[in-house]
This record gives sequence, C-alpha cells and structure tokens, in this order.
Amino acid sequence: MKIHRINALLLKYYYITINRVDRLFDIIYWPVLDLFIWGFTALYIQKLSDVNVLSMLMGAVILWVFVWRASQDIAVFVLEDFWSRNLYHLFTSPVRLSEHLVSIIIIGFLRALATFALMWAVGMVFYAFNILDISPLLISFSVLLLTIFGWAIGLFVAAFIFRFGQRIQVMAWSVTFLLSPFACVFYPLSALPEWAARIASVIPATYVFEALRAMINGIPVNQAGLLYSLISSIILFVAMAFFLQQSFIKSKKTGLLAKGA
Amino acid sequence: MYFWLNRFMHDIEVQNLVKTFREKGKVITAVDGISFSVRKGEIFGLLGPNGAGKSTTINMLTGLLEKDSGTVKILGFEPEKNWEFVKNSSNVATAYSWLSDVLSIRQNLRVYARLYGVKNHEQKINELLELFELKDIGDRKIIRLSSGENTRAVLCKGLINSPKVLFLDECTVGLDPDIADKTRSIIKGYQQKNDCTILFTSHYMYEVEELCDRIAFMSDGKIISIDTSSNLKKLIKKHTVEIAVKKDVKLLKEFLKTEGVDIIFEKDNGIVFEVTTEKDKMYKIISKIFHKGFMLSNLHVKGPTLDDIFIKIARRK
Repeated sequence: MKIHRINALLLKYYYITINRVDRLFDIIYWPVLDLFIWGFTALYIQKLSDVNVLSMLMGAVILWVFVWRASQDIAVFVLEDFWSRNLYHLFTSPVRLSEHLVSIIIIGFLRALATFALMWAVGMVFYAFNILDISPLLISFSVLLLTIFGWAIGLFVAAFIFRFGQRIQVMAWSVTFLLSPFACVFYPLSALPEWAARIASVIPATYVFEALRAMINGIPVNQAGLLYSLISSIILFVAMAFFLQQSFIKSKKTGLLAKGA
Repeated sequence: MYFWLNRFMHDIEVQNLVKTFREKGKVITAVDGISFSVRKGEIFGLLGPNGAGKSTTINMLTGLLEKDSGTVKILGFEPEKNWEFVKNSSNVATAYSWLSDVLSIRQNLRVYARLYGVKNHEQKINELLELFELKDIGDRKIIRLSSGENTRAVLCKGLINSPKVLFLDECTVGLDPDIADKTRSIIKGYQQKNDCTILFTSHYMYEVEELCDRIAFMSDGKIISIDTSSNLKKLIKKHTVEIAVKKDVKLLKEFLKTEGVDIIFEKDNGIVFEVTTEKDKMYKIISKIFHKGFMLSNLHVKGPTLDDIFIKIARRK
C-alpha cells in the first residue's frame, strides 16, 4: 500500500465532493434537514412528556450520521467510478483495491466528521443542544463503533456492486435504511415486538443507541452490550473486507470489471 | 552493442493465452491460446472484426481481466509478480472509457500523475495539454467535452507517466481527420523519442498501416496471421483497375472477357475491373490494352489494402 496513491485518490474524492452538488447535499442538506425535522418533533413531544426527548432524538440523529455516511460513501464512491466509466483507467493504473478502499474510508470519515460538526453547530444554535454534554467519552466511543459498523455495511454493498454491477445500485441507499428500524435509533429495544427485538439484539448499533438513552436518563450503561457491539463490528468489518476482495477477484474473472469500466 | 541487444528484446510476450466466459451455461472462448511477442520500440497492431478478442487480450495484458491460462510478460516480468514495476512503466488509452466525468481534464491528470508518482507533474500536465491542444479547455469538466476532446484527454492520461509500454485501444475514435492525423504524429513522435513499445488496436486500416511495424490479425479468439502490412497484403491476390477510354468501350469489354477478367461495373466511357491474380498478370493486361490501341483517358490501379484482408477475415467468420 502506497501513501502517494491513497493521497491521489483522496484528491480525486475531494474534487468529486466540491464539483458535484449531490455529494455536497449528502453532507449538508439531508443531515441538516433531518435534524430540523426531528428537532421540531422532539420539541413538540417534549411538551407532552417529562422524558428528555430532545436529547434522545437529537443525539440519535447526529450519531446515526456516522453509520449513514460511512456506509453510503463507500458504496456511492465505488458507484461514481462505474457511472463515469472510469474503473478502466483506475484499475489499469498501479492502484490496488486496498488503496482504493482505504481512500474511500478516509474520505467517508472526513465527510462524516464535517456533517457531525455542522449538525453539532445547528443543534447548539437552534436547540441549545450540545451532544458532547451527554458524555464526551461515550460519544467518541460511539462514533468509532458506528463508523466501523457503517464501513462494514458499505463494504458489503460495494462487494455486491463489484459482483453484480450497477443493476443493484439501489442497495447503496436502501441497506442502511433497511437496518435503521432494527437498530433502535429513535426508540428503545424494549419497544420492539419480540421478533424484531431478536433481530435488533444482534445489530451492533443497537447497543450504542441504548447506551446513549441510558446515559441521558441517568441509568447504568450496558457495558457488555457495548463490548459485544465493538467486537461484532470489527468482525463484520474484517469479514466484509474479505467478501469485497473475493467479489473484486470474481469481477476480474467474469469480466464485469472490464465491462463495467 | 546495447542498441542491437535491445532490438532483440521483447517488451510484451504472450504465450498460449486463453480466456473463456460462461454465458447461460455455455462456455464461450474469447481468446483461444494466442501467442505473440512485441519487440522493444515496436508498434504492434492487433486487428480483427468485432468479437475477435482484441479488447479481451488488452484487458488481460493490462490486468483488468484475469486469464484462464497462459503467460504474459511485460518488460520481462509477469505483471502479477511485479505489479509496481509493470504498472508504473506502462499505461493505457482507450476511447471507450472516460476519465472521471465530474472532474476537469487538469484535475484528472493531477490525480493520475500522483497515482503514477510523476515528479514535477504540473509541468508534465502543461506539456501534455499543449501537445494535444487542450490547454484552453484544461479546466473544463470531462462531461462537457466533445468525444474528440475526451479522446485526447484520455491520451494525455496515457502519456502522463512517460510509459515504456503503451496500450492504445481504438484511441483515435471520434477524432476529426486533422486531429486524428496530429494524434498519430504525436504517438509516432513519442514512440521514436522514447523508444516506447506500443500495442495498438484500431478499426481504421490506413491508421494501422501508417503506424504499425507489424500486425496480428485476430478472428474468433485466434491469431490468423502476424506480419508486416506489406507482407499481409500479399495474402490477397486482387488488384482493382479503373480504366476510362475515349471510345470503343464495347471492344475493350470484349477484349477483357477474352483475357478472363471480371468486370465489376461499367460507367460512362469507362470500366472498373478486378484482376484476381498477381501483379505481373495485371501489368501484362494493361500493356496489351495499350498495344491494342485503346485511347485511355484515365487509368487507376488499386492494390489490396488491409481493409480487404479485414473484410475477408470478417466474412469468413
């Protein structure tokens, strides 16, 4: 793996981010809009309840950004190269798949941090909500955990794109949303019916949002749950990286990489 | 001594290269055990009808497609085992694949210059933009370029790392005749200046004839023939002669029939006929026409072209 090639790809994704309105909307428009919708909803519910709904919903929306951005950016930046028929030039150059992925992961994380900073500022200005007041340690740990989980989802989708091509590109936007009802982002695990709770209990992100709510409500955090979350996210990440590598090799055998390029 | 040794070195060596694809349970052989080698500093043309296996071959040589069997050596090394060296010393340009379309030409070239580890890359980019007459539109996004401009941008990328081995797959498609001519001159000039080895595919036969030292004809995944263009043209024993006479078209027609010549068509005061034989017999017939006293107002002889070979192979398929 060569740093100068990772830097070159980072430059490319930076150019895509500043040149393409869609990619700017990803980090500014949708997250801020989401924050306003949930913020106003929380303010309304807050009047009807004693529970700190604002902190719970706003904290959840801001943290979910890391899963959302980390997963979607990997898939969308892989798709960008398919859309512009640029894979040919990319993979006939000295670039290795690992360098390609590391650069996408880094740019995805930087974009997630930019979104996080923007949402933190919007939360402070419009709702006097500072997510770091909850617990800087828990928030930092949650960011790390959710990002790894998001990368694992992104790698899973990218593997499918390399295996089946653009026809399954809808997965880039839908997989994270498919998971969100079961990740207990906005409600506790106990609120789910039994069948859904079973699914939720194996999703690593569930324990992060449970911990967030516990911290806000002043009850003990499920540390074992967070440990499970960290270990399972890392295992998932490694497994999906392997799956992606296999899909890439397969696409070189079947000719999809050359055709898609 | 070194110069002469260089002449015998092969920068591209392909031995028994095979690639098959599975489609709806059927096995399709795209490249069927081909072998060829390209000498250092040679421009080698790969020709053949659509589906002959040219692009599949180039895709395997550039590492975009995995071969089933066979060996490939670029600059003496197997690409899988000497990835860094082979990739950094070679490059590809094709009209069928774009650079990143939301980036400008200059931004794309900056990215690729960094990928290939090019030193003083801004200077190199300016030189290439100047060379391919793209300097004025260097900051224009790829998506806003005409196909000819896009092709030239891809060629800039192809030369960004001053490659020792260059793969050019239909790289002049979409260029107007003037720019295409300039592009061929640039390619030839670059090759001569840098002693670069080029593997070239094109559908334009005159282009292949003008540029390539040797040509391999492919059909159905196999190489039918490898030779220089002049030797390949000898495979077709056909000359077309166009004669216009001031009078006596009928007599000329009868004379040609007695000589066993196929007349393709007649036109005002003229006949176009085809002699399917060696040059000598054609000259004899023309000489007899003169001796018979026919008053010629025009005479045009056309020898076999690479197009004829291409068409022959394509139709045989």
